[in-house]
Amino acid sequence: MANILVVEDDKDLNNAYKIILESENHTVMSAFNGKQALKALETFEPDLILLDLLMPIMGGLEFLQHYDLVNKHPGVKVLIFTNMENSPEVTEAYNLGAARCIIKSWTAPQNLARVITDTLENRTETASAA
Amino acid sequence: MPPSDPSATLVSLKQEEQQVLAEALFSSIGDGAIATDEFGKITRINPTALRILGYNEREMIGAWFPKKIISVHESGEVISLIDRPITRAFLTGKTIAEKAYYRKKNGQIIPVSITVSPIMLQGKPVGAIEVFRDITLEFEIDRMKSDFISLASHQLRTPLSAIKTYSHMLIDGYMGDITDAQKKSLHTIVSAANRMNELISTLLNITRIESGNVTVTPKMVNVRELAEEVNKEHALAANDRDITLTLHAPTKTAPTIFTDSLLFKEILSNLVSNAIKYTPDGGKVTFTVRSRRYDILCMVSDTGMGIPKYSQEHIFTKFFRAHNVVKQETSGTGLGLYLVKGLVEALGGKIWFESTENKGTTFYVALPKTAPTVKNSNNSSNLED
Repeated sequence: MANILVVEDDKDLNNAYKIILESENHTVMSAFNGKQALKALETFEPDLILLDLLMPIMGGLEFLQHYDLVNKHPGVKVLIFTNMENSPEVTEAYNLGAARCIIKSWTAPQNLARVITDTLENRTETASAA
Repeated sequence: MPPSDPSATLVSLKQEEQQVLAEALFSSIGDGAIATDEFGKITRINPTALRILGYNEREMIGAWFPKKIISVHESGEVISLIDRPITRAFLTGKTIAEKAYYRKKNGQIIPVSITVSPIMLQGKPVGAIEVFRDITLEFEIDRMKSDFISLASHQLRTPLSAIKTYSHMLIDGYMGDITDAQKKSLHTIVSAANRMNELISTLLNITRIESGNVTVTPKMVNVRELAEEVNKEHALAANDRDITLTLHAPTKTAPTIFTDSLLFKEILSNLVSNAIKYTPDGGKVTFTVRSRRYDILCMVSDTGMGIPKYSQEHIFTKFFRAHNVVKQETSGTGLGLYLVKGLVEALGGKIWFESTENKGTTFYVALPKTAPTVKNSNNSSNLED
């Protein structure tokens, strides 16, 4: 089971992901923006970061720039979980090392759990929509 | 001196009056206006055109239109002579209207809306008149509109995500056991949220098409597999209404095409979904794939209510819904076929249909086997995963 950092500003969704992932026996740490995530990473070593892009204070892209995933944390998988489908921000997130991107509003909880397992195991088949 | 012929003087005065009138008309047009002779040399240009392009009249009169007024792509690359609207107007003898970019004297590139009409005399072009308008402001408003829709759609989706996620969590037992009746109600909530999601996606995709920002990421696609996937996704909806959904696709050699699989799937999915929606219970929907020399032809036929003759020319128009459909089915938005046509064109293909009222409709989509023009390519999915 993995250590997962959930970075999502919407409290309802953040809480939902925590419940879903903990039910799969993952250890979950929650942050509500990029700045809080960087703070959490001082003590928490994640296997995977579930990252929203559009957040107040510090968004997902700025977080990725500070975190320097490619050079400093190549072993950590970043899963972008956003509703900004097909946007330049998603392209930029890939450039900054994100492993994959899924659309929040199309992904049911059980699919989220599966996509996380697949990402952790380096499987890349497409997640089916809810 | 012999007395002048009074009728000749009258004709001459009338001609002069006509000329003054034409000159006044030309100068007072609020848009840029340029007249050329049959060789494309500028014979007249109005003050608005001079102001837009930044030239003075002396620099323009007598100059060769295509050389003096440079038309470029958005990237700045010069458009070839044969593709210029004025050339096509001369060659076809028809009025050409389109949007383009002009390079001003100072090098600045501006978007313009152009209408070129050839002046025809006894079936031959003896000149042309181009009227054009600087549409920089319209472009900016369009961009702002697209940005607004994109952001608004994103903001709409956040609460929708929470509604769906929690409904699913309840259904899946994350919060404990629930009754079958409660489950059924939750499925209704999820289904309504999905419909709202689809509407947001459609709006987003239409915004992209209208602003020319469809991301086309081509790859090799096995059309049979894609068609099977589409049919599978709609099998339940067809089955619920006792509609036979059949796929005919070559099995020996897989029909392949180099295109954007997600956009292609969106096209096919819309057509199959429409066919099922507008076919009465117990009807038939047949999805046929044919590999031709240069393209792949997909045909979606139904035994539905058909499109009335008087509605046929409007069927791809935004928000249009045929009267017979409105009477029987109220959930449509009139955006589906408009979106499909935009997507087909973004992939370099063509769409058309044949329909007989109360018998059924067949939609045809032909997509080139070779790659469509890649407007923008990235690693992300064009539509939803």
